[in-house]
Amino acid sequence: MSETPLTQASAHLRHGANIGQSLTRHEGALKVTGQARYAADHHPAGMLHAVLAVSSIARGRVIALDVAAAKAHPGVVDVMTPAHKPPLAQDPDEKTHPFMFRLDVLQNDRVRYPNQPIAVVIAETLEAATEGAVLLAPRYETEPARTDFPAGAHFTPALVGVADPAEAHHGDVEAGLAGAARRLEAIYETPAQYHNPMEPHGIVAAWEGDTLFIDTPSQGLAMAQARIAGLFGIPPAAVHIRSPYIGGGFGSKGVFSGPQVLGIMAARLVGRPVKLVLRRGQMFGPVGHRAPTRQSFRLGADNAGALTAIGHHTVTASSQHDDFFEPAGGVSHTLYASPAIATTYEAVRLDTGTPLFMRAPGKAAGSIALESAIDEMAHACAMDPLAFRLKNYAEVEPMSGKPFSSKALRACYAQGAERFGWAKRPLAPRQMRDAAGMLVGWGMGTATFPALMFQAQARAVLRADGTGVVETGAQDMGQGAWTALGQIAADSLALDPDRVEFRAGSSDLPDAGIAGGSAHTATAGMAIHGAGADVIARLAELAMGDERSPLHGAGNAGVIARAGRLFRRDDESRSESYVAILARAGIPAIEGHGKSATDPAAQAAYAMHAHGAVFAEVTVDPDLGQLRVTRLVGAFAAGRIINPRMVQSQYYGGMVWGLSFALHEQAVIDPRSGRPMNANLGEYHVPVNADLPSIEAILVEEHDAHVNALGIKGVGEIGITGTAGAIANAVWHATGMRARRFPITLDKLIGPQDN
Amino acid sequence: MAGYSRPTDLAAALSLLAERRPVILAGGTDHFPARVAAGPAEDILDITALGGLRAIERRGDHLWVPCLATWADLGAANLPAGLEALTQAAAQIGGVQIQNTATLCGNLCNASPAADGIPPLLALDAEVELASLAGRRRMSLDAFLLGPRQTARRPEEMLLGLHIPLPVAPSRSVFAKLGARRYLVISIVMLALVAEFGADGMISRARVAVGACGPRARRLPALEAALAGARPDPALLRRAHLAPLLPIDDMRGTAAYRLDAVATLLRRALAGMVPA
Repeated sequence: MSETPLTQASAHLRHGANIGQSLTRHEGALKVTGQARYAADHHPAGMLHAVLAVSSIARGRVIALDVAAAKAHPGVVDVMTPAHKPPLAQDPDEKTHPFMFRLDVLQNDRVRYPNQPIAVVIAETLEAATEGAVLLAPRYETEPARTDFPAGAHFTPALVGVADPAEAHHGDVEAGLAGAARRLEAIYETPAQYHNPMEPHGIVAAWEGDTLFIDTPSQGLAMAQARIAGLFGIPPAAVHIRSPYIGGGFGSKGVFSGPQVLGIMAARLVGRPVKLVLRRGQMFGPVGHRAPTRQSFRLGADNAGALTAIGHHTVTASSQHDDFFEPAGGVSHTLYASPAIATTYEAVRLDTGTPLFMRAPGKAAGSIALESAIDEMAHACAMDPLAFRLKNYAEVEPMSGKPFSSKALRACYAQGAERFGWAKRPLAPRQMRDAAGMLVGWGMGTATFPALMFQAQARAVLRADGTGVVETGAQDMGQGAWTALGQIAADSLALDPDRVEFRAGSSDLPDAGIAGGSAHTATAGMAIHGAGADVIARLAELAMGDERSPLHGAGNAGVIARAGRLFRRDDESRSESYVAILARAGIPAIEGHGKSATDPAAQAAYAMHAHGAVFAEVTVDPDLGQLRVTRLVGAFAAGRIINPRMVQSQYYGGMVWGLSFALHEQAVIDPRSGRPMNANLGEYHVPVNADLPSIEAILVEEHDAHVNALGIKGVGEIGITGTAGAIANAVWHATGMRARRFPITLDKLIGPQDN
Repeated sequence: MAGYSRPTDLAAALSLLAERRPVILAGGTDHFPARVAAGPAEDILDITALGGLRAIERRGDHLWVPCLATWADLGAANLPAGLEALTQAAAQIGGVQIQNTATLCGNLCNASPAADGIPPLLALDAEVELASLAGRRRMSLDAFLLGPRQTARRPEEMLLGLHIPLPVAPSRSVFAKLGARRYLVISIVMLALVAEFGADGMISRARVAVGACGPRARRLPALEAALAGARPDPALLRRAHLAPLLPIDDMRGTAAYRLDAVATLLRRALAGMVPA
């Protein structure tokens, strides 16, 4: 197996035939005609329906379940409870690696958070299972819910995010503040948020002996396979997961969740295939969320507006029983130059489900706070917010001192500002009105997200008829992986896309890494690139070593591949088709393999991030506080763009989530019961189309020679960063009122000056 | 054991109501969401197959809105001047899918404090017609609404339809809804203002109703009295006019914000009102 070097282009390939083309969505026709089958669309013969009963308390024990009443209901087949369930091979509370989280799968009668599964009713119909779950009528021994954030006992977590230190220092913040001409201290609060993908978590599980067949949405097939194998004591290869289409994940489908495990257990218990799908309200508990944060900033600036210190202290929360700490401080490490930066954390524990990776984990919450603080400091320095950001432009990564592998942020600022018309912005707030008398404000924010890579593998096959097959277990949650990775696959074999079959979305295929961290295109793409290059290398050896080939003896000059032919690099008049090479050799197919991983040398030498600039216009009704985002312009630089159409959609989506963060999303917890009071899409607001009449995303050209051989950074999450802060800053510019508690709701903008 | 019936004629439906007192199901847009997690064993009377209870029509001095008329039906009805508030409400209740299946009468029977349909109907002096085996009776919507999720409908009765008086004098009406997003949103407050005008351009009679500011929507009689005989003028509004409103703090807004917003929306409704 050959490994393609990550830091140099393949010797045999010339890119560009497919990469960079705005192909339409590969599976688009299937989706719009209802033919794309999502997990819960699968109904194997003999399938039963399982419905979760979930806790209505936040903390305590289940002391009684009326199993007899549920079982007596017509159609109910069985009721799975802590006392009646198949055995597991592994303690679901055990943790053996940082991506492993404790699960609630009926291991005991304890309740650790609201909406925790406490029983599973399995029935012939969904209706019978639903009714059976109601008939369980649980009784509890209830303890007081601990939901008060950020009160409660504070502690310093050992690590935040996956494995970031909870304390990081560069220079002397106290000295930087002491010497500053201007200082800003401000506290920003972000609420608990829930992922709410359109498709709820669901699973259709069928056992055949000790072999397991599953349809379930997963952002990480190989990780899910390993998790299931461990829990059920079977080899990973005995777990077959199909996940070709995912109705959104946003991080919540990255780690295999308790309810999904319960679907498999239920199928084991009854010996028949079982389908289990969460109701919307049940998504507010066992499948992760974004923890609330309270972020305290201390900024110092000199007389010229240069930052002298950034102190960023985050208080966040995890569950009582597991650890995930929203790494909100990370943005302060990378964005603005300062001789002194310190990020620190404290945390409290709440009676909630364990928070998890959600839509730009850390970065989204950190960005809205940092961008607000930067805006406040720009105002304190009487500087235009863009000028202030340019004044504090980081030429090297501030915290590490490393050069950036590439950073076209200046171009993002310039192109975004030009398109938006930023130059006409008055410095003072509350200066602009529209024809209807609404206050108008303009704000901006810097977007950033690290260019990550995980590990992946891929297989490519070139057949005698000149067609190819490329396989990797990639996961498409709507971001366009089928399309973009298919383009990389075609390019890797130097064939037209319609000559290459791209297979993905199954755990039976090589591990494509997770679709998360905005790293899937880079990670899976590099493995595909390597697999195709491996095939072409073997094909080239075959041709060059055969004296009957016009490519014989190309030797060091080498060949390039293009449109199903190999050409001698130094003399393109000498070429031969793949079909001819394979036919003469009498070989039915050539198989190649590729792997990808981060390059430690490049990681050590360079800071790798995508960047962007987002400009927002809002109107605010001065009497009602009613807010409208009338315009969003984002300009992003994220290395090589595989499919501009898909990438633009990703940016749009990210920017919509930024709007959602700034103005809408918020889980409201009842302090008495600890339950989320708005566990539905009627009252857990996300924007509707009418909330965002105009959105533009500019793709700024950027070439990165270091992130990977394809030069790909991530585009999935960066749009939410920058945008949320830009909107918050525009609200200030419209009203002169600085909202520091998010989301910014109407009533927060009705202050004394308006009444 | 719960039963489900879908009769095609009214007499059968009323007999079932008298016998079993089932839950009445029409559009189902409130019924089903309330029963997702906890479906009690209850008899269901699905009235959607009843004939002749869908078409909105003018009957003499009033508009007849039968119990199966949807918000989309109302939005598509060519309503006379003075009933604009109804057309406006029909476009702002839920999304298009909701409007296509939800009924006005269901909105009234559900009697949510935040029901968007109630303020315009209250301001238009709508009457409800209830039917049972014992006969029919009419009452004002104001009398029908008792409190949150409570109405004067007896278990054996069915809300057959609404009588909305057609304007007798030149009239204008307006509906205003305030929500935290542009569309598909439960209102923070909503209100309707109906004004009849004399030949002199003065308001001869005004009716104002406000929702989501108390256990049920309320008329504002003091404001109505203050507007009578005056030009539509925002300056006529006094804080005391809002006395019938008893808003609460909840996740959609504070009580103080709600009162403030109602005052603003009322001033704007008055400022925008062109005499008919």
